[in-house]
This record gives sequence, C-alpha cells and structure tokens, in this order.
Amino acid sequence: MLIKKLLRTAWSYKSQFISMIIMMILGIGVFLGFNMEWKTIEYDTDRFFTETKYADYRLYSENGFTKDDLKKITSIKGVDAATRFLSVNLDIKGKDKKALAVDVSENFTVSTFKLMSGKKYDDKSEEIWLSDKFAEKNKIKTGDTLTLLFQGTEIDFKVAGLIKSGEHMICLADSNQVMPDFNTFGFAYITPSKLTAILKEKMITAATDKMTAAGMPEDLAIKAATKAVDKEAIEKAENEAFSAINLRSDLNKTELEDLVKEKLGKTLMVVSKDDHVVYKEAMGEATEGKTMGSILPVLFLAIAILTMVTTMHRIATKEKTQIGVLKALGFKNRTILLHYSFYGLFIGIVGSALGVALGYFICKLVMSENGMMGTYFDMPYWTAATPTFCYPIIAGTVILLSLISYLSVKAQLKGSAADALRPYTPKAMKKSFLEKIPLFSKLNFATKWNIRDLVRHKSRFAMTLVGIIGCMILLVGGLGMRDTMSGFLDLLDNDISHYATKVNIVENTDIKAVKPLIDELDADYESYVGISIDGYTATLDIVSNDNGKISVIDEDNKEIDLKDDGVYLCLRLKDKAKVGEYIEFSPYGSDDTYKAKVLGYNRSIMTESITLSAKAADLLGIKYSVSALYTDKSSNDIKNSDLISGKQDKKQLMDSFTSFVEIMDTMVIILVVAAVILGIVVLYNLGIMSYVERSRELATLKVLGFRSKKIGHLLISQNIWLSALGVILGLPAGIITLKWLVVALASEYELKLMLGPLTYLVSILLTFGVSILVSFMVARKNRKIDMVEALKSAE
Amino acid sequence: MSIVSFDNVSKIYTSGDHELYALNKVSFNLEKGKFVVILGPSGAGKSTLLNLLGGLDSPSEGTITVSGKDISKLSDNSLADYRAATVGFVFQFYNLIPTLTVYENVKLVSEISKNALDAKEMINKVGLLDHLNNFPSELSGGEQQRISIARALCKNPEILLCDEPTGALDSETGVMVLKLLLDMAKNYDKTIVIVTHNQNIAKMADVVIRVKNGKIRSIENEEHPLSADEVEW
Repeated sequence: MLIKKLLRTAWSYKSQFISMIIMMILGIGVFLGFNMEWKTIEYDTDRFFTETKYADYRLYSENGFTKDDLKKITSIKGVDAATRFLSVNLDIKGKDKKALAVDVSENFTVSTFKLMSGKKYDDKSEEIWLSDKFAEKNKIKTGDTLTLLFQGTEIDFKVAGLIKSGEHMICLADSNQVMPDFNTFGFAYITPSKLTAILKEKMITAATDKMTAAGMPEDLAIKAATKAVDKEAIEKAENEAFSAINLRSDLNKTELEDLVKEKLGKTLMVVSKDDHVVYKEAMGEATEGKTMGSILPVLFLAIAILTMVTTMHRIATKEKTQIGVLKALGFKNRTILLHYSFYGLFIGIVGSALGVALGYFICKLVMSENGMMGTYFDMPYWTAATPTFCYPIIAGTVILLSLISYLSVKAQLKGSAADALRPYTPKAMKKSFLEKIPLFSKLNFATKWNIRDLVRHKSRFAMTLVGIIGCMILLVGGLGMRDTMSGFLDLLDNDISHYATKVNIVENTDIKAVKPLIDELDADYESYVGISIDGYTATLDIVSNDNGKISVIDEDNKEIDLKDDGVYLCLRLKDKAKVGEYIEFSPYGSDDTYKAKVLGYNRSIMTESITLSAKAADLLGIKYSVSALYTDKSSNDIKNSDLISGKQDKKQLMDSFTSFVEIMDTMVIILVVAAVILGIVVLYNLGIMSYVERSRELATLKVLGFRSKKIGHLLISQNIWLSALGVILGLPAGIITLKWLVVALASEYELKLMLGPLTYLVSILLTFGVSILVSFMVARKNRKIDMVEALKSAE
Repeated sequence: MSIVSFDNVSKIYTSGDHELYALNKVSFNLEKGKFVVILGPSGAGKSTLLNLLGGLDSPSEGTITVSGKDISKLSDNSLADYRAATVGFVFQFYNLIPTLTVYENVKLVSEISKNALDAKEMINKVGLLDHLNNFPSELSGGEQQRISIARALCKNPEILLCDEPTGALDSETGVMVLKLLLDMAKNYDKTIVIVTHNQNIAKMADVVIRVKNGKIRSIENEEHPLSADEVEW
C-alpha cells in the first residue's frame, strides 16, 4: 500500500521529480562522458602505440646516421630496439596538392604499422603500404599504382596494402598544420631496399645530367654514371637520408643523452615521445579531457545535488502532515524514513542509469571514428573505457541522494505524532542587516517584499544564483572560446601571413644555395633549428622578413620590427629571461653555445621558440639552413626544383583549421545547450518552489484586490533582479573560466583571450531570456491560484 | 437602502454527472451600515456565500448586485478591482504578509485603493502604534488580527467581510477583537458581514441569516442587539 502512495506522491511532485532526474542525468552524464573520454584516449592509443611499436625516443642528426652509429646505439644497455628511420613528404603526381609522408623503418622493430588489408610487410618488396584513411578518401585500392615526385623525379609504386601507424596517428604535414586533412595528406611505408634503389637511380640521373650538360653523349653518360655511383656512394646517400634513429627504451632522457654522447662522441638532439607531436598531442587531449572532466562535471553534479537538497527539503515540509498521519496511524519512524528515502534512491537510480547512457553517448560523440576525435586521430580502436573511480562516485551519489531524503524527512519526524501532524511553519521573519540601511525604508513594498523573501529563503536564493551564474559561465566560456579561436585564425590569416604560398625547402639547404630561388620568388624565409635552453627543448626561429611576407607580433598582436642586436622570446618562454637579460642556447647536433640579449617577447603561433632576424643570426655567427620560403607567387607558378620539398597554399593551410573550428563549434553547441537546460531546469524548479512557498501570500494579495498581472510582475521582478545579479557575478566568473579553458584546451598555442561584443550580448540576453521565460512559465501559474483554499490554512 | 442584493443566486459544482448545489437559488438584500451575521453549520454554504459576495468566485446562476453594480459576470481583472475598492477582508488566520512589517502590511493596500485611509492612523486606532516595525511573526494572534482589521479598513471599503474572525483566538481575545471590529465599523460607517458558526456572535447582530444545505433557512432582523459585554461568552 505504501508503494502505491509512494508512486502517487511522486506523480504529484512530477515537475520536481523530473527536474531532479534531469539534473542527475546531466550531472552523471557530463561527469562520466568527459572522464570516459580521456580514459578511452589513454586506453586506445596505448594499445595502438604498443602494437605499432611507437618509438620512445628519436635521435636526430643533420648529417644522418651510419649503420655503425645504429650498432653503437643498439649496444647501449637499456635500449630495447632501434632503427634508422626516414620520413619525407612527397607530392603525388596527377593529384593536385596531395602529398604523403613516406616512411622507411630499416629494422622494422620500431615505428612500424598495423596492416588493415593487403599483403604483409616484406623488406624485399618494391611496393608501398598506404594509409587506409588516405586511400579511402582518394578511392585508392590495393594493387593500384601511385606516382610520387621525389626531388623532381617520378617514381611509381604499387599499393601492397592498407595500413595505420602510431607514428602518424595524428597525420600532419608539418608544424604549421593544426588538424589532419585525410584527403590531401596521408602517409605510407616503403622498404629500405626500395629506398636504396630510388637513391641509386636518382644519383645516376643526376650524374648523367651533369655529364650530358658537359657535352657527353647520353648513352655514354649513362654508362659512366652507373659506374661512378658505386656501393660506397649509395651508402653515403643512405646515411644522409636516415636523419633519425628511432628507439624503444625505458631509460630517462638525460641518461640516454649521456649514453649517446659517450657512444657517438657528440651531442645529439634527443626527442622523447613526450615531445613528439603525435604522443604529445594525444596525451594533451587526454589531459584536456581530465581537466574538463574534473571541473565542468563537478559543477553539474554539485548543482544537481544542491537542487536535490533544496527540493527534497521542500517536499518533506510539504509532506509533513502526511508524515504525521502515518506516524499517528502507528507506522514506525523507521518505516516512514525508509519510505521517503526511497524517493532519493529512485531519483538516484533512474538518474544514474540514464546518466550513464548520456555519458556513453557524450564519450562516443567525441571518441569514435565518426566523432570529434575521428577527425583528429587515425587509429583502429575506438572503445569506451571508464576510469575505475567513476563507479564509486556514481554509487556514492545515489547513496547521497537517499541520505538527503532520509535526513530531510528525519527533521520532520522529530517529537510526537501530534507535533508531526502540525503543518510545517517556515522560519519567523527577523530583521536583516539590510533593514538598518536608511535607503531600505524608501524602497517600494514589492522590492522590500522580494528582498526579505530572498533573505528568508537563503538556500533557494543561493541555488537560483548558482544556476544563473552556471548558465552564464557556460555561455561565456563556450562562446568566448570560439571568439578566441576565430580571433586567432584572423590573426594568422591577416596579421601574420601575407604570402600566397609557403615553399618548404629540402633539409640542410644552405642559404647560399637557396638565394637565387629567394630572389626569383621575391620571398621571405624562415629557418627552424632545434635548440636546448639549459636542457629545455625549444625552436630557434630565424626570420628574414624584409619583403613583408611574414610578420612577428607582440603580446598585443602589434607587429614587431625585428632588431638585429638580440632575440625575442615567445610568451611561453617568458619565465626564461627578462627583457634586457641575456639568454643562452645551443643548437642540437652541435657543441656551440650562443648568448643573446632578450629584446622583447613575441606571440608565437605554434612553436615554443626564440625568434631573431637573419641579420642577428649572422651577427651571432649561427650557421643555419633555410626551412621555408614565403612568396606571393601561386604554387602553380613555382617551378619544381631539387631544393623544394613541397608547396603549400596559404588557403590550404587555413583550410586545415576548418575541422578544428568545427570541433570547437560542436563543443560550443554542447556548452550552450547544457547552459540553457541547466538554466531552465534549475530556475523552473526553484521558481515553482518559490511560487509554492509564497502561494499563501500571493493568494492574500489577490484577495486584497491585486490584479494577477501585478502579482506576476512581483514574481518576475524577483527573477529579473536575481538574473541581473547572476549576470553581474557570472560574467567575470565566465571570463575566469574562459581563461582556464584557453589554457586547458589550447596550451599549445599562444592564444589571446578575445571576447566579441556579440558574445557578451548573446550570453547576457540568453541568460536573461532563460530566466524571464521561466519566470513567465511560473507567473502564469498564479492566475490559477485558489484564493479560497490558500486562505484556509494557517501559516 | 440596500447595498447588497442576491437574486436567485446558485453555485453549482459538477463532478462527472453529479451536480452539487453549494448554494441553491438564494435571494436576500442587505442594508448599508448594518452588522450582518451569517450563521450555519459546516458545509451549509456560508463560506460560498461570503466568497461570492467578496468577489473571490462568481455564481453559476443569478445576479449579485453590490452598491448598484452587478458583480456576477465580471472578468478576473474587474473582480480584482471590485475587491480592491469595495470589500475589506478579515480572515480566520489573519493572512498578513510575513515578510512585510506591521506598517507595510497596512500601507500595502494603498497601492490598489484610490481612497485609502492613513495607515499609521489605522494602526493607532487598533492600538498597535508601538509595533509599527515589527513583523507579524513577532505579534500574538490577537495583535495580528487587529492589524488585519486595520488593513481591511485602511482600504476604506464599503463592506467588511469577516470569515470566522475569532476562530483562531482564545475567547477573551476573541471578544476584544470583536468589540474592536464593531466599534471601528460603526465609527467608519461600514456594513459588516461576519460568517461564523458561533451562536453568541449572532446575538450582537442587526441581521442574522441562517443557512443550511445551500439554502437560506431564515433572515432575522434584531431591533435591539446586545453589546459584546452583555453577551455571555
């Protein structure tokens, strides 16, 4: 019989029950969703990295590595496996502006791939193993032939199989690209024997060209060239080509650095997987997920639980006489407590069950091949993993909810049955400190009434405020993130990049060799060199921008006219040295150390870098090779050359941000929807509570002759005041949250916090809109106030 | 001259096919300045009668005229205006606004009544000038009811409607409140209608209307009503 009562009572409080369940679903769902997301990233990528033998360390040498070098490295105690490794970006013939990163892993014990379909890897093969995602986007099948351009030479490859690789899980052409574009850039593996064959052919062609140019007949030239290119020459070319050794080892970075120096007799640039773009970004995503998973959901869960406390208390007081009747009938306290605790249990179980479903949905929305991460990660596994700590938290929440109902009812059960039968009396009105302010007495009665009502029902007041502030935080955070990102893209497009095409130059190309090309293209150039600042890895960015094709900007996004008597530190390196102080750095692969004066700080878009002008580099005596040219010429007007390793339109570069912006937009939509739901649910629930708590007063006003509209105004004006207060407090809270979001979600860029006027307007209007919409929903109810009924009871 | 006139007034509640007559074809007239007591057991229809007269509800059939104005078919807003201008209520449970002080509770009605009287003076008349800035919860039941009377009169209505005004008070306080109510009504020349099941109050009335089963059983005019002191409580 009590079960029947339970269900019927639950039905009579259906709006409260439904809103509490919705809050629980949101709280558990968001909590679980974000936590599952990072756990799944960790779990799936780890499995994939292990399977494809992702390298723990990469050693780089500008002059490449010999077989002997590899032997020495392999002999280091603690190095489990090592391979000479090459990854080079090659354009595809016949496919406009499409390129592949072609990898060669000599031993195939490190940095390998997972075969998805086709032939197994065979180190004697002439064929190519191609990224399945690239193949799918470009409709390439196993057995098809691909023609790649290697320094002006065309090479045909038959596709042996389709693959995925940990090394290219985030498949980016270079450090300027933010998001993969599986359609225009992919990766592939060829065998070392094929590499040797290519190098040999290339060398013979080059020698032949030289000889024919000198006047030798072609057939003779070919013969002579073939003879000249002997085993030794090929080996030398190979050694130069393998500019990296990838290895797997549990040693720490300093240990390895020391051992490498000891074995090879020189300092090499050692990059651990934590600094390698794929692992770093993947773990970065997991960390972002953790941050998101620790703060945002806690906000939702906290609001859900607080709503539960206020609402259950309200229901328990409304049920007080019922509780008294049960007690008077002879039900034991324990039975009554159990009966009412079941409400919390019911809400907890239903809310958690649906919340788990929502959490799974949110996780899948992010972590699935067609989800948000699917545009970023190219990997075979998309599971859904839950961090272990989530289970006790969910169980704990359900128990907490039951406990809340238990305690709310327990408070009503105190004393005798007769006490319990008496209706609930709200706290007597006392004068608050506000009354002592002289201005207070001048307020009109509606304002006084509302202020005192809030003081009297502090928890309702606080909860409403929390709801509005939460709504505002989510809106400002979400929309502000979008503003900041689009501001960043604007900056990149309009203030920094004034070129049409970026021309990537083959590695180790001296400035003298590129000079004719620079003049021909009327280009600016840039050089990236890996450096160590007292052990800290960064990039030295040497810029020559006399032609105005690229700009360096300061913290306020103003262009810096680079001076030649020192260097500029990017914002992330600000703590390394003050302006006017000297900073020391040494390029990897050399023993030279340079000391330069810090002239200022600049906003670096991608890399963590020290920037200086080419002249400053010359003055310091830094030897460098050119990495990229920037020109106004369109890529089609730039002739292919041995010096050019690739060309990239600015438009293409900007387009690579599109999917990044799309991800951002999805996040913004999720946040805005969450904000609106949160706002409506919390405010409606509390609005109804406020209405119920004041229904007797409202009925009195109606009897006295106040029109419904005027009473409605009274209710709405309270909400408007609360909304205004919430917006005033929520705006700075939102900006603080945004700052935190920018750091948490985009620490790899030096973003300037930007908030458009539209964001302020939309956030404020939407928050007010939600609040006023809810007020009207509640105020409409006052037309139905039963004056007669409300007047019968005593307060 | 009659200030209130009920002509064949019925109030019917329907539930399913069932019709319940809370009031069944009731007709009577009340004269201005009289003290009227509506007497009857619970469920007789006396509260329905008061609700209709007070404009809290509209009749299903018949016509109610107050001060020459038909109030039986008014809109919600017009009914609110009618309540604001014409009737003052005194309830069994006082119904003061807990979040407003004594003064504010009385002053409140000047927001809706065009010819409201001075709030302070009214509070002075009920003898609670010392409690102007107290909240209702800081007053005794009798004191709260006196404030409620002050509030009802402050509107300067034509009719005072009281629903068991002494129902929640002990008898001594009840008599005091009743005396005050009658004195004030007389001083300000108001018609006063009290709904009660207390036979003693009827002894003080100019007119006693007895109601039972939704019908008027009798209307008695008393030439020489007793004063509160003369009634044995």
